[in-house]
This record gives sequence, structure tokens and C-alpha cells, in this order.
Amino acid sequence: MIVNKNDFHSFLKKVNNGLGNINEVIVPYRARSDDENPSFHFQRFEENKILFLDFFRTIDPIKILFYLFREKVYPIKNKNLKRVIVGVKACDLKALHLLDKAMLQSGFVDPAYKQWRDNSLIISSDCDYLHETCSCNLVNGHPFPENGFDLNLSVIGGNYFIQIGSERSQEFVELMKKEITVANSTVSDIEIVKANREKVFNRLIEKNNNLTHSGDFSEIRKVEHKSWEEVSEACIGCGACTNICPSCYCLILNDESTDKDFIKVRSYDSCQWYGYARVAGGGTPRPKMTERFRNRYLCKFDYMYKNFGEFGCTGCGRCTEACAAKIDFRQVVKNVSSVAQEVN
Amino acid sequence: MQNPYEVIPADVYEVIQESPLIRTLRFKPKKPITFKTGQFIEVGIPGIGEGPFTPSSSHYIVDDMDVTIMKTGFLTEQVHKLHAGATIGIRGPFGSNYPLEKFKGKDVLILGGGCGLAPLRSLFLTMLHDNKDYNSITFLAGAKTPKDCIYKDEVSEWRKYDNVRFIRAVDEVPPGEQWAEDVCLVTKLLQKINMKPDGNPAIVCGPPVMMKFGTFDLLKYGYKEENLYLSMEKKMYCGFGQCRHCVIGGYYACKDGPVFTYDQIKNEEAIWD
Ligand SMILES: Cc1cc2nc3c(=O)[nH]c(=O)nc-3n(C[C@H](O)[C@H](O)[C@H](O)COP(=O)(O)OP(=O)(O)OC[C@H]3O[C@@H](n4cnc5c(N)ncnc54)[C@H](O)[C@@H]3O)c2cc1C
Ligand code: SF4
Ligand code: SF4
Ligand code: SF4
Ligand code: FES
Repeated sequence: MIVNKNDFHSFLKKVNNGLGNINEVIVPYRARSDDENPSFHFQRFEENKILFLDFFRTIDPIKILFYLFREKVYPIKNKNLKRVIVGVKACDLKALHLLDKAMLQSGFVDPAYKQWRDNSLIISSDCDYLHETCSCNLVNGHPFPENGFDLNLSVIGGNYFIQIGSERSQEFVELMKKEITVANSTVSDIEIVKANREKVFNRLIEKNNNLTHSGDFSEIRKVEHKSWEEVSEACIGCGACTNICPSCYCLILNDESTDKDFIKVRSYDSCQWYGYARVAGGGTPRPKMTERFRNRYLCKFDYMYKNFGEFGCTGCGRCTEACAAKIDFRQVVKNVSSVAQEVN
Repeated sequence: MQNPYEVIPADVYEVIQESPLIRTLRFKPKKPITFKTGQFIEVGIPGIGEGPFTPSSSHYIVDDMDVTIMKTGFLTEQVHKLHAGATIGIRGPFGSNYPLEKFKGKDVLILGGGCGLAPLRSLFLTMLHDNKDYNSITFLAGAKTPKDCIYKDEVSEWRKYDNVRFIRAVDEVPPGEQWAEDVCLVTKLLQKINMKPDGNPAIVCGPPVMMKFGTFDLLKYGYKEENLYLSMEKKMYCGFGQCRHCVIGGYYACKDGPVFTYDQIKNEEAIWD
């Protein structure tokens, strides 16, 4: 399908105002319009703001919309909210895919996460502009969505090329067809999108050329402590990396019960913090910062790989961007994976 | 859809001071909690918090449970302040259980110390329920001093069965305390008993050092890695594989454990820490 950009925006405006019984539309907006290096935040749709759907991911990870920083998990109320989230990037779709595996498909269902998932329609979009830290290509990803979306947008000049990714988007598409002109796409539209995707992907590969690793982490545990000490030397253990990571979901369960009711609230934790794994009597399996630093990498490339059959990293680059010590995640991955290769 | 965070209120009706640091809470959940021995529950005090504990009672009784809790920090100190009549909140049960089916017809060895005796009491009581199904049951229980021994009032009852041995040892007997049984590390009791490791299971639970050396001793005596059952203690929040705190390599101590065979986890890191 092909729609005109302006038409689509005016349609979003109506949806944001309640069309189709939808309560809100969330889109990426520029965080600061005067900044030379643009950055983006998810925000509620506003009429007069410019939409940038072909840029890289937002600063905030997609989890803040599905797995909130603090959320009540017992007792649970029906949120009765229907929302549409536009401009989700391929890396964040991967993050949702991983969160789904943990929260929905592990045998136990997180009730709050499930509601947000059920109530949100996801309209993703291709990346035409890359962030310095973008590295989805290093973890088997692409700068364009392949699955996990309801609809996907690719920019072609003044139009959006729309791809349907789920059955449940049907209703939304029907609604759109009633409101704005929706044309059939042609073979040449598809060709243009394909060519553009390839171009961006190649640019990404080029950009990360020096950071490319073997992709084989089966021996990562054997990397000596010394190597980890070297790469983690600057780390101050702030936990910014895990909190901003879209696929980190470690939680603390708090008890906020009153005299009358039992109430359970979860919030984010970080394996970079000392108390994370502390057990009775004060013992912890990872007392040193180096060990906690190492744990994050092993979690992504070894433990999650065992749990989910794929890497726990989406390549979004947020941890690198957020790091107080200017540690480049990609560089560390590259270094330790090459050491692991030697060990072997 | 079952909410795994659901809290089942329970009424505490008795508190037993087992030792200076250990108490057993007896409680009746408002809704029966069907568990399999070895599994754990989250025991919470409203407004304070919760922690993972293993029921210490038989799994044949689901509407009247015991937990045996050692005072080690803030939460457990609050637990120790509870009196009969208090309401607590239970979540669970969670995790893996002792595979009783595999123990049937065997000579079962149970080795534990300190608060590790809690899950083992559950296992023991559950097995006593059909004790004829097992060839023999040997329970070796350790404590620091005679004062630290728990379940004191039940011992004579446990010793009445033909095919059951309950042997205790304390590390030391301070001046002024009485003790007519063994004085040694609990693992040393292994030398005293006539062991038949061949194909038989051994179940170990206790403080990390005890688990570690107990495991190594049992291996030395000829127990097979796949027949050694360990209850792993890791920090836990959710109890069902979502908070990641208890991860042991590719395993979750809460979901794949707490009961593991040594064979399963021997190559993982920091299992004894
Ligand atoms: C599967 C399992 C079964 C257990 N069974 C028993 C038992 O039957 N009897 C017993 O006395 N102890 C048992 N423990 C240990 C018990 O959970 C801890 O001793 C207790 O949670 C620590 O309380 P605290 O007062 O020291 O905690 P605090 O000082 O209050 O702080 C620790 C907080 O961290 C959390 N926490 C989660 N897991 C742990 C953990 N493993 N150790 C410490 N803190 C933890 C709790 O929410 C607790 O509120 C078990 C642990 C596990 C993992
Ligand atoms: S990491 Fe890849 S998918 Fe994510 S924003 Fe960058 S280019 Fe797009
Ligand atoms: S580890 Fe870093 S690059 Fe990977 S998903 Fe998390 S924040 Fe993104
Ligand atoms: S953000 Fe950087 S400094 Fe902070 S804990 Fe992570 S790696 Fe260490
Ligand atoms: S206790 Fe949360 S994952 Fe095991």
C-alpha cells in the first residue's frame, strides 16, 4: 500500500483523538530541535510537530512503553487502553521479541506486560539515517523490520510504503482506507524500498567494519579474568547501560501492601549494582565490578542465548551512548570475542 | 490466566522457637497450596517484603504448612517477630521438586545442616508417609552446637521406623551443654554409616560450604553425579524465571531448580557462592 505522508499524519491525528476507539498515538519526536545531533523521544502525538520516521531509534528503549520502570503486578486492573505506537525500529522489535519470550512464553505470564502488548498496535519503520552507535548488523539484525510489527512504513519520497505484518492490523487498515487515499503499491515501489534498504544496510556494515566480531561466543566463558579487567577498568558500575538497554528486564519486586490488601510492584534492577545477587548473610557471587561487568556480556551472549536461542543484544547502541565511562559495548564485544577465539 | 504474582493470604497459628536463630511458622493458607516436596514458596509480610523459603512440611498436607526460617537479615528478623494470629502472604509454589519416583526402592541418603534441614524435613516427612516404598532412608543432620539442633521434639518419632535411620552430629559441645550423640562435621558421619552408593540417590542441602564439601565427599565415596541432588540457594525475586537474579549460566535456580542434580550444574560458575 502507498499513502501520502501528509494524509497519513492527518489520519494519525484523528486516531489520536479517538477514531477507532483508540486512546492514544505515540510517536518519536526530536528531543531538542536546536541540537545538531538529533535525538528522539517517544511522546504522545501532537498536531503541529514534525514526524521523523526514517531516523534511528529513540533515546529511551521501547521497554518503557511495555515494561514500565515501576508497575503494579498484583492485583491487576484492566487498563482499558488502546494505543498505536509509530516509528518503532527493527532493533526495538527484536527487544520486544525477547521480552515476549521472557514475559509471555516462559510458562508464566507477566500480567501487566501482557496487557500493554495486547493493547498496542505497532507501526514500525525503516532506518534511513543511522546513529553513531547503531550496530544491529553485528547481532544478526538489519536496519529495517522483517517481522514483529503490525504495519511497517518505508519512506519513498513524499509517501509511505506500507507493509502489513499481522492479522490484527486489518481493522486499522480498514479504518485508514475509509479516511485517506490508499493506493496499491507497484513492483517499482517494492524495488525502490529494497534498493534503499540495501544501501542503508551497506552503510551500516561499512560504519561498523572495524568492530566486526566472529559471531561465535561459545567459548566466551573461558576468557581470562585479566582480559575482563582490562576492558572494564573504566567502569564505575552506575548501571546506566542496563537500565537503558531494551532487552534488560531484571526486576526488583517490592511489597507495597496495606493493612487491607497485598500489593506487589516491580521496578528495574541492575546486575551492575553490588546488591543485585546478594543473598542471606551478605554473600554475593560477583563481589568485584569486573565480575559484574562480565556478567552483562555473558548474560547477553551466553545465558540468554541458552534461554532463548538467540543473542540478548539488539545492537541498538544505547548502552554505548549512555555509558558514563565512555565504554563502547561493540569494542568490548569485539575484544573479548577475539580473545575467546584465541583461547579456543 | 493465572497471575504468578498472586498473593494467597495465610494465617499463622503457631510459632516454634527451634533454636536461637531458627523458628518454624505453622500457617493455614486461605486457599490450599499444592506443592511437591523440594519446591519453594515466597513468604511475605505485608508492607515489608518477601523471600524464598521451602515448606518444611509434608507435601501430602496442603492446607496446613510449615516453614522453618533462620534469622539472617532484615526480612527474616521481621519474620521472627511474627506471632500466632499474624497474616502472611504466600506466592507459589515454584521450581523443581525432588523426583520421588526415582527414589522408590532405593537406599536414600539425606545429608543436611543448619537451615538446609527445612526442605529436607519436607522430603523426609513426605517419604515417611509411604516409607515402605523405599528400601531404606538415612538422614544425616548437622548443627553447630546442641542448642542449634532443630526439630528436637520430632526426633524420637522419626527413629521409630524400621527402615529409617536419623543420625545427628554437632560440630562442638560448648561447656555446660549436654550431648549424647556424635560430635563431628556432618559430612564425617558418612564414614560411620554403611553406604551403598551404587545407583542410589543422595540429597544434600545446607550452607554453601557444607554443600560443597558434602558433594565432593559423596562423589569420592562413589555416588554418581546424576544421583546427587542439590538445592541451590540464589537470590530470588520473582520465583518463576523473569527477574533473572537467580541465573546459573543458562539455568534459572527458581524455575529449573532449586533442585538440581550435580551433573546438571557442575560446569556452571560460582555455584557454591
Ligand atoms: C529456593 C530457596 C529456598 C530457601 N529456603 C529457606 C528456608 O527454608 N529457610 C531459611 O531460613 N532460608 C531459606 N532460604 C534463604 C532465604 O530466602 C534467605 O535467608 C532470606 O531471604 C534472607 O533474608 P534476610 O533477612 O537476610 O534478607 P534481607 O536482609 O531483608 O534482604 C534480602 C532481601 O533479598 C531478597 N532475597 C531473595 N532471595 C534471597 C536469598 N536467597 N537470600 C537472601 N535474600 C534474598 C529477599 O526479598 C529479602 O527481602 C531459601 C532460599 C532459596 C533461594
Ligand atoms: S540499531 Fe539498526 S535498527 Fe536500531 S536504530 Fe540503528 S540502524 Fe535502526
Ligand atoms: S546491550 Fe547495548 S546495544 Fe545491546 S541491546 Fe542492550 S543497550 Fe542495545
Ligand atoms: S554505563 Fe558504563 S560505567 Fe555505567 S555500569 Fe555500564 S559499563 Fe559501567
Ligand atoms: S527468581 Fe526471578 S528469575 Fe529466578
